[in-house]
Amino acid sequence: MAHLTDGALRRMVDDPDAKVGADAAHLDGCADCKARFESIAGDARSIAALLAVPDVRVDVQHAYDRVMAAPKAQPALGFRLPMLWPAFRPVRLALVAAVALFALVGFAFAASGLFVQPTRVQAVPITLNDVESLSQLAEYGTLTWTTQPDLRITTDAAEAKQVSGGITPPKVAKLPAGVSSTLTYAAMSRAVATFKFSAAKAAESAKAHGKTLPKMPAGMDGATLTVTIGPAVGEVYGNMNQPQASTKASQIDLPQLIVAKSASPTVTSTQVTVADLESYILAQPGISPELKKTIQAIGDPTTTLFIPVPVEFGTATSVKVQGVDGVALGDNTGVGSGVVWIKGGHVWAVAGSIKQSDAIQIANNLS
Amino acid sequence: MQVGARQMTVARPENEAFEALFTAEYARVVGIANRVLADAHEAEDVAQEVFIDFHRLHSASADYAPAWLHRAAAHASLNRLRGARRRQKRELAQATEEGERSLDPQKQAELNEDRRRLREALGRMAPKPAAVLVLRASGLSYAEVAQALGVGVGQIGTLLRRAEDTLRKEVTRGTSN
Repeated sequence: MAHLTDGALRRMVDDPDAKVGADAAHLDGCADCKARFESIAGDARSIAALLAVPDVRVDVQHAYDRVMAAPKAQPALGFRLPMLWPAFRPVRLALVAAVALFALVGFAFAASGLFVQPTRVQAVPITLNDVESLSQLAEYGTLTWTTQPDLRITTDAAEAKQVSGGITPPKVAKLPAGVSSTLTYAAMSRAVATFKFSAAKAAESAKAHGKTLPKMPAGMDGATLTVTIGPAVGEVYGNMNQPQASTKASQIDLPQLIVAKSASPTVTSTQVTVADLESYILAQPGISPELKKTIQAIGDPTTTLFIPVPVEFGTATSVKVQGVDGVALGDNTGVGSGVVWIKGGHVWAVAGSIKQSDAIQIANNLS
Repeated sequence: MQVGARQMTVARPENEAFEALFTAEYARVVGIANRVLADAHEAEDVAQEVFIDFHRLHSASADYAPAWLHRAAAHASLNRLRGARRRQKRELAQATEEGERSLDPQKQAELNEDRRRLREALGRMAPKPAAVLVLRASGLSYAEVAQALGVGVGQIGTLLRRAEDTLRKEVTRGTSN
């Protein structure tokens, strides 16, 4: 058998139970692996010794009281959601795509509030601080769904097509090696939400967060934004078992590939121009200079769909997809990737735990 | 969406869930930050910020709560480390283990210097391997580390090894003593 990997040997250092079966037999009989094991174990010991610190004695009750007394400990969106935490790589990428495609509540006005009808995509670097500042915009008014989205997960392509108002799920010409052909459809009907700005609510929110707000542009108090998202349809390759409370993360089968197609979102507004809105949002305290610069450099925000790329987790590059400009996304470890583009009035996305070249290949051959 | 009504009905159980989460995880979150910063006070500051950030956005009954906290503790303290390398010399001197008091001053000085360099190198490393190393050193199991960082449990050995290899090359002196 082949030599043991460094990773396998390292695990054996920590966990004697990992020394079983064929691996253990190999280690016993292989001088080369034995020597590597000793050197790996030696490194592990010396690094552990250098990282050693005396235990800290904590006063949990005192610390809890301090945390609860902090004004910042109030919910940022006015409520808390047990939402999916984007720790898992393919899911995280899917989330980036989902932010663009489905314009999640809270992000709706942050990420996509600036366009009217996008025809092109552009990546914008976004930091966790930006997300936090932007998410507070949700407190500056009242959100109402005038048409609730109907979300459906199904294994039936015809049902998905029906929910998504007739959008045919895109077909992947050829799956990369190792991607499961188990296919699940996700569909969303068209949804419309309106957001009504309120100067009073903005002032209240600023007070609660101890922030000083930029002056609202004239006419913004009482102005409404109407956002239309979807319909959209997506395909998930791989097992889509929902995480259960009792399930260890390591046992969850993650989707390997997601392909999605959505009608381009639209935004209309009353009383306030896109330019006013843009400068107001960018003047919010906490918005990073990088984000400001990128957005201000974009010529016409009314035809651009911003793809927020969390700089802590991912990278973005411009690519040509199906003859149009697209954004290729990658996570920092290079294991997951995705690509987003707009063509024919639809936003398209391909993402998963696949190589970027595979993602672009799939994108170019979608039908 | 009736946000106000929802908030009112969930407020009390949410606070109870948060208190339970805090009680269960606070010491461990401090431990992770202390592993990186080697400073008990700073570690408690980081831990409290992490809990405040969590409480603002997430429900304490979410499945991912402990994993989120562990990851945030590692990243927040590594970020601080990058900004605060200068202060380390003094702090690391205080972090000396009991058993090492008997070392001769020369050896002790070397060990402290190695610790300082190790943490400097840790601050320069890519976030993911650095976080794997820190979380594992703080006593999290492979499965817990994997959960916190959103990587497969099978990758932890490789990431750990890579991190240790990088650090060993940076800290060349005195580690075999």
